[in-house]
Amino acid sequence: MSQERVIETDVLVIGGGIAGCFAAIKAKEQGAEVTLLDKGYVGNSGETPFAKHFGVFSPEFGHDLEGWMNQVSHVGEYMNNPEWTELTFKDSYARWQDMVDWGVKFYKYDDDEYVWWPPREPEEMAKYPMQSIRMYQRQHAKIYRTQALKTGVNIVDRVMVTDLLKQDDELAGAIGFTIDDQEIIIVKAKATIMTAGSAAFKPNGTPLHVITGDGEAMAYRVGAEITGKEWNDCHPSRAEFPAWQWSPNKDISLSKKDDYGGLPKKVNAEGDQISDGKTVTLWIEDVFEADAGRAPIYWQFGSGEAAYHNLVAGPEGQPRNPLDLEAEKDGKVRMVLGSSLGMSVHNTEGIWPTSTKCETKIPGLYAAGDSLGARTVGARYPNIGFSTAYCSSTGTRAGIAAAEYALQKKSPVLDEEEITRAKKELSAPIDRPGGFSPSWVTQALQNTMMPYWILYVKSEERMQSALTQIEFMRDRVVPKLSARDAHELRLAHETKNMVLSAEMKLRASLFRKESRGTHYREDYPLRDDNEWLAWVKIKEEDGEMTLSKEPIPEKWWPDQTIPYEERYPIRFPGE
Amino acid sequence: MSLENIDPVLCNGCGICVDSCMVDVIRMDEENEKAVIQYPDDCMSCYFCQQDCPEEAMYVSEVKHPPLFVAWG
Ligand SMILES: Cc1cc2nc3c(=O)[nH]c(=O)nc-3n(C[C@H](O)[C@H](O)[C@H](O)COP(=O)(O)OP(=O)(O)OC[C@H]3O[C@@H](n4cnc5c(N)ncnc54)[C@H](O)[C@@H]3O)c2cc1C
Ligand code: SF4
Ligand code: SF4
Repeated sequence: MSQERVIETDVLVIGGGIAGCFAAIKAKEQGAEVTLLDKGYVGNSGETPFAKHFGVFSPEFGHDLEGWMNQVSHVGEYMNNPEWTELTFKDSYARWQDMVDWGVKFYKYDDDEYVWWPPREPEEMAKYPMQSIRMYQRQHAKIYRTQALKTGVNIVDRVMVTDLLKQDDELAGAIGFTIDDQEIIIVKAKATIMTAGSAAFKPNGTPLHVITGDGEAMAYRVGAEITGKEWNDCHPSRAEFPAWQWSPNKDISLSKKDDYGGLPKKVNAEGDQISDGKTVTLWIEDVFEADAGRAPIYWQFGSGEAAYHNLVAGPEGQPRNPLDLEAEKDGKVRMVLGSSLGMSVHNTEGIWPTSTKCETKIPGLYAAGDSLGARTVGARYPNIGFSTAYCSSTGTRAGIAAAEYALQKKSPVLDEEEITRAKKELSAPIDRPGGFSPSWVTQALQNTMMPYWILYVKSEERMQSALTQIEFMRDRVVPKLSARDAHELRLAHETKNMVLSAEMKLRASLFRKESRGTHYREDYPLRDDNEWLAWVKIKEEDGEMTLSKEPIPEKWWPDQTIPYEERYPIRFPGE
Repeated sequence: MSLENIDPVLCNGCGICVDSCMVDVIRMDEENEKAVIQYPDDCMSCYFCQQDCPEEAMYVSEVKHPPLFVAWG
């Protein structure tokens, strides 16, 4: 890799989803020079283009802050940080207005009312009041790109960032390469914002293959703290086509509220209903059914045609083959878990912030969006649409704070030795004459982590055995990753980061010796408020991964005078 | 197999699909200026390319057959 380019900027933003675009636009508006790098193409990459609901909170829409706050704490089993939760709600209206100003379109019924999700009945709304407005998938992401370019952000697409660069103890930029012509890119930046999204294992079904935890891995390697790795995102996909589920839906036409339908019910192999589509559940009840021998699990659709299109039809609204037609006939669709394997709960997992300005432990490093572990939600996601609100809110906060910081700093001088080391690390897989292909190592990682008894139904001995495998991969396989071209070099770095993420997930899950939310340990099936009203923090110390507990302040604890079974109404097997 | 086909007759060489694909499956064949499926195994059936292609030259399927798993690779 002989070509090389150096970019100097005030603020570097890594990853151009909704968080990165908001961060870049807001930093530029403060007067900073901003460079935004993305390994895909900003506007078409990350999870952002798939999002189709924005959780805007406003008393103007009749929303009640207390009700929304309670929903997050209750559903998240008190693992959220209410200060951050409230900030997200309060920021969301201004961010929504930004989006409207920039031209993002939101759905409306014929009577000019916004289309809110989920379409709940009044008595359910009293219990779970959070809602979000439906927007057009993909369109909004392209608008953030247009707006960033209009504001004067320097976007460089198709650059895989591999590591952050430090000068003394401060962040000084990053290094990466172009996936088209293998050019090394070195960015010297006064401040850097990490917005590279969350962390999954290239699972089947949810189109998360760019989301390989690069952001938190890079931050971890320069000494930042990581949190929230023990929780699970529990999206299923269709058993008939597990490789495909959550691709964009057809833009449905909704003229009146009744058209929307609701969430599907879930039914097990014996025909028993395991959830009614209304009551909030943990989402991992499917796996308890499977473990008891009662798979397959079906989603049962009612009359709402839109619900079917919303959740399981193809991108043109089509049932695509005879199996689909069969499923559609009786309204039953066979589902299987694992489609978002590796991903934790949005807005809970990621780099630990040290302030509500999205600063981190490393001076000059900020984080936002799915890369930021502000624990705005807890051990389970409260309502669709919350994440885009959080990502735009934290992107804005990080953008403004990073610009302020950068504008009073001198340009960093990068240490030549540090650059030489980083370049060697970057190109190692392509310099190696042989070794293992990143795709094969990814497959081995998936085979280790995918079976339901590792991350969904957890136990000490099984996680230890998986950890033994992952440590072997870390020590003996990852150092031999080999790439034939820049495309594979990107895959090699993604694979290395996913193996690190797997280690963090297993260690955090072993560390938390209780069950809570989406973290179920059959050897500790109860919530343990005495020991575990705490967050788990992970960091590197003398080359070792170390874990610690950060106690949750008592003022945010659930009321201990309420009997356990009322405090936590959802039962785990064995409890 | 995920992105199954790019019809070379319909493809006008605009290159839009290369930017649509966040996982870098598609590249332009510089000689004949047509889009080609360069890294098929990495397709995740997101349908972005098919949605964006102005000539309806692409066909994505929901079926995927990953390579068989072997002892090393
Ligand atoms: C199918 C689906 C549907 C969803 N629906 C909703 C919804 O309706 N409402 C809602 O609120 N949320 C929804 N979400 C979640 C929401 O989309 C995400 O939480 C949010 O978009 C994350 O935004 P982000 O900017 O933090 O990260 P992302 O949008 O994931 O962007 C990360 C960016 O970083 C880039 N990147 C990553 N690593 C590197 C690297 N090493 N070098 C350079 N660039 C890198 C990626 O290419 C990507 O562009 C959905 C998610 C999915 C997958
Ligand atoms: S978008 Fe369609 S027409 Fe354009 S290069 Fe790709 S396949 Fe060809
Ligand atoms: S379907 Fe998605 S992942 Fe597959 S080639 Fe098209 S854009 Fe890329």
